[in-house]
Amino acid sequence: MTISFIHPALIMIVGACLLPMVRGPFRKPYMFLVPLLTFIDVIYLSQHAGVYGVFQFMNWELTFGRVDRLSMIFAFIMSLMAIIGTIYGMHVEDEWQHVAAWFYVAGSLGAIYAGDYITLFLFWEMMAFASTFLIWARKDEEALAAGYRYILVHTFGGVVLLLGFVLRYQATGNLDFDQLNVSSPELYTWLIMAGLMLNAAVPPLHSWLPDAYSKATAIGAVFMCAFTTKTAVYTLIRSCSGFEILIYLGVIMAIYGIIYAVMENDVRKLLGWEIISQVGYMVAGVGIGTALAINGACAHAFAHILYKGLLFMAAGAILTTTGRQKLTQLGGLYKKMPGTMIFMLIGGLAVSGLPLMSGFISKSMIISAAFESHLLWVGFALTLVSAGTFLAAGLRLPYLIFFGKNNCSEETWEKAQDPSWNMQLAMTIGGFLCIFLGCYTPFLYNMLPHTDVVFHPYNAYHLSETIQIMAFTAFGFFMLRKYVMPRDTTSLDLDWFYRMGGRAFLWTVKNPLQWFDNVVGRFYKTVGINCLMITSAFWSWFDWNGIDGVVDGTARCIRAIGRRVTIVLQRGEIQQTIYYTVSFAAVLLVAYVWL
Amino acid sequence: MDELLIKSAENPNMYSHILSLLIFLPLAGAILLLFVRNESFARYWALCITTLTAILSIPLINAFDRTTSKFQFVEQVDWIKSLNIQYVIGVDGISILLVMLTTLIMPLCVLASWSYIKTRVQAFMVCLLIMECAMLGVFMALDFVLFYILWEAMLIPMYMLIAIWGGPRKIYASVKFFLYTLAGSVMLLVAIIWLYIHNGYSFFIPDMMWQNYSSTAQIFLFLAFFLAFAIKVPMFPFHTWLPAAHVEAPTAGSVILASVLLKMGTYGFLRFAIPMTPEATMTLAPAILWLSIAGIIYGGFTALAQSDMKKLIAYSSVGHMGFVTLGIFVLNTAGVEGAILQMINHGITTGALFLCIGMIYERTHSRELRDATGVGKHMPIYVTFLTFFSLSSFGFPGTNSFVGEFMILAGTFEHSIWLALAAIPGAVLAAAYMLRMLQKIVWGGTDNPDQSWIKDLNVREIVTLAPFLFFVFWIGLGAQPFINIIHVSVENLLNNYHGFHGQVIAISDLIIQ
Repeated sequence: MTISFIHPALIMIVGACLLPMVRGPFRKPYMFLVPLLTFIDVIYLSQHAGVYGVFQFMNWELTFGRVDRLSMIFAFIMSLMAIIGTIYGMHVEDEWQHVAAWFYVAGSLGAIYAGDYITLFLFWEMMAFASTFLIWARKDEEALAAGYRYILVHTFGGVVLLLGFVLRYQATGNLDFDQLNVSSPELYTWLIMAGLMLNAAVPPLHSWLPDAYSKATAIGAVFMCAFTTKTAVYTLIRSCSGFEILIYLGVIMAIYGIIYAVMENDVRKLLGWEIISQVGYMVAGVGIGTALAINGACAHAFAHILYKGLLFMAAGAILTTTGRQKLTQLGGLYKKMPGTMIFMLIGGLAVSGLPLMSGFISKSMIISAAFESHLLWVGFALTLVSAGTFLAAGLRLPYLIFFGKNNCSEETWEKAQDPSWNMQLAMTIGGFLCIFLGCYTPFLYNMLPHTDVVFHPYNAYHLSETIQIMAFTAFGFFMLRKYVMPRDTTSLDLDWFYRMGGRAFLWTVKNPLQWFDNVVGRFYKTVGINCLMITSAFWSWFDWNGIDGVVDGTARCIRAIGRRVTIVLQRGEIQQTIYYTVSFAAVLLVAYVWL
Repeated sequence: MDELLIKSAENPNMYSHILSLLIFLPLAGAILLLFVRNESFARYWALCITTLTAILSIPLINAFDRTTSKFQFVEQVDWIKSLNIQYVIGVDGISILLVMLTTLIMPLCVLASWSYIKTRVQAFMVCLLIMECAMLGVFMALDFVLFYILWEAMLIPMYMLIAIWGGPRKIYASVKFFLYTLAGSVMLLVAIIWLYIHNGYSFFIPDMMWQNYSSTAQIFLFLAFFLAFAIKVPMFPFHTWLPAAHVEAPTAGSVILASVLLKMGTYGFLRFAIPMTPEATMTLAPAILWLSIAGIIYGGFTALAQSDMKKLIAYSSVGHMGFVTLGIFVLNTAGVEGAILQMINHGITTGALFLCIGMIYERTHSRELRDATGVGKHMPIYVTFLTFFSLSSFGFPGTNSFVGEFMILAGTFEHSIWLALAAIPGAVLAAAYMLRMLQKIVWGGTDNPDQSWIKDLNVREIVTLAPFLFFVFWIGLGAQPFINIIHVSVENLLNNYHGFHGQVIAISDLIIQ
């Protein structure tokens, strides 16, 4: 049976193009309808796996719709998140934000269904640009600068990807977007991986993420936290699974991200660092590459989109109502924003992997896969990181925003309240799903790409281990909480690490790591752009004074010589003219005779 | 020589004299306009003539035989018998798209000057029409003298466009433009005369191709060609006339310069340099390739530093044309086809960007980026157009330039990976300078000048920009028909080129034995 293939991304794109024309009372139902239709389309497609939308473009065959189990689960969660995000942003009048967000979703869906590199690249770039507009839409000076940095980095990543697949095309004559031969990597394998990795924010290509996500608009960040990195994880699964270096990078990411999350003062930057940490789990899963690990990476991506979306929605609610996003300017808000508090707690507990929450059933899969593949250090490192995650997002963040010392100014306190109904509705959906996934595991597990592996998260050992770790972390936090108070800088809080006794660890963090991140961050922020602009200014100066100086100089010289000649030779004195003429003729004559 | 031509005179049909008609219709229109003293009539008349030319040129595409590399729609008449100079014109796959680009862009140039030009409107329109005549002639000419006359003739109306209707430094810019390009083509004349003598006193261009000139002669010929064409392209470091001319020229002048005039340099490489001096091409190609790379990077950096929007686009042209020469001189199918396509793409995209800048200039009377910051708030239609053209300019997938640049890069990879790697930063720089401009125009900063009085595009302006947008997406999404048109001619050119070298190698082997 042939089924009619309508690309879900097409629905989003057409919907986005028509959005500015839909006004007044129709706007809100319309905004609900388009993502819903997309979602229905995705579900419809998931019943009909196969390859659709194959077009001939010049000499290449473009595949727009490769529907298999792997693309299905990612498309499912992306389109679901599009609904949640759109509901969350429904109150925003600025229609261009919605248009950009929908194009962004379309880019992500297109990349997920893409079967060849050209199609992938098309949607990849669409994602990058649409998301830039989500940052720029906030319109203040910082957001504009951050957006510009963001797009430059992503253009660079895109070009690396382009370079990689063109090289691969030269070598193999093949543009199919499929598993690469990672056991004997070529230059193009590394380039493709680097291009994809940049979008997954793997250190040292990560600085764009906390920088950009903290500057985006409230709804912009909700969308961004879901799509870019997770689409990158999807592409990595598709092309680089089993690539060993990804294991190391993933573990480094997980640790690195959480360290900065623990120290961060800016709420959304904190969540951004945590994305890096959580995506580290997925990247490590991709690197391990066994069926269980890939399932784990998919499941974790799925769960992560929901709880991280929830956390960003809660943070956005605080930002929208109070206008503040620094921990040093918040605190004690439980009285004013009880709803938001509950959602942030749900999100925080889910990300920490509390049993009966979504994070538990997904994160544990990757850790188990690591142990199963005898990568003990990976398993232990990732287990430890979940303690840090709990500390950062499950304890410290809600504590400092909703309890703890009230640092709010009077104005902030006045303005603080639970957000509008649509934001609360979106958070309710997200919160419900976080708990639902954790309680009813088959819902997620049945969608996973590898059907031949079975995993049971709720066994006694696993439960006891998780609860112990969390209990110890919680105990430590409440004992030592005055040491994890935020500072209005991003510098390290030395005391806290001293008390934890990890001097060596501290040293590592303080010296090489901190130094490295400062260098990367500073390079990214200032040196990168400034160097570029200074180099440009120099070449522009050189163009005007160097090259054009020669051109204009030649012209001036000729004009000056012409003038001199007129002055010297043509004085109008007949004797002199005759004298010059005769001498010139004589010289010619002599030359002729002699040569 | 006849086997190279498909003459329409042998089986007369409606296309017998179509090329002459295209050349002379604008000229006739210009002559008539000389006797009219009504400004509004001049505008409508010029629009009418250019539109008619455009409409008449459209059947060419249908009638064009895509399966042959011969010159088509050829007309041949003796002109100056004593010197064996002929009026012979024709098009092949390499030139036909450039002819179409020229005819289609001219009505839009007239529209763009509708309210921009307020003084001496008739004279302006006469210049535009003569310009069109000369440009079409250059792309069609198959006699070297005819080519050279039209090549130089083009400079005069362009000079006037800049010198009369230009900006504050118009005299400087126009004289520089005129002298620089004229100086470049002096050596071209010497080359023509040399070729004339060594080809049995014939100026017929196809006869001069693929001949066994001595290596030294080829090198000198090639250098003469190179000087003329590299200045026209313009290739780094012969580019400094371009920013000056662009900045001072009126909008229509900038559009013609960017869209058509620059293409003549690259067209010259394809039509003359490669077929007439294949050996020298092979010797000197590496140098030209690296010069192209230098142009790509250099153009990117200088564009990034500009605060004047027209200058920014002008320098970006240096970078984009660097891609075109890169594609030409890698001398493989993907590269050359990509280069020809990119010539068309650059004509569309950069032409459109100059129109966009012109529209801002008409409103704010400033080309400075800081005076245009944040106009997006008041001009939503305008920024929509600008966004698409900017995306196209740095080769966003789905737009025309992506296809062209991709093919060029693919061809370059085939040739040498280092060259391709070296060209990559150019692509990132292109994004950097276009987005910098786009961001400033659409959003600006917190201290935007007050522009609440600015009006969005009117219908005439939308009509002017819409065709460009149409082509941006047509070529971006369905480039195959365009490739089909040029494919056979390019294959023929490359087969001849590589065949020629095969021959040379065989002979040299013989000598050694």
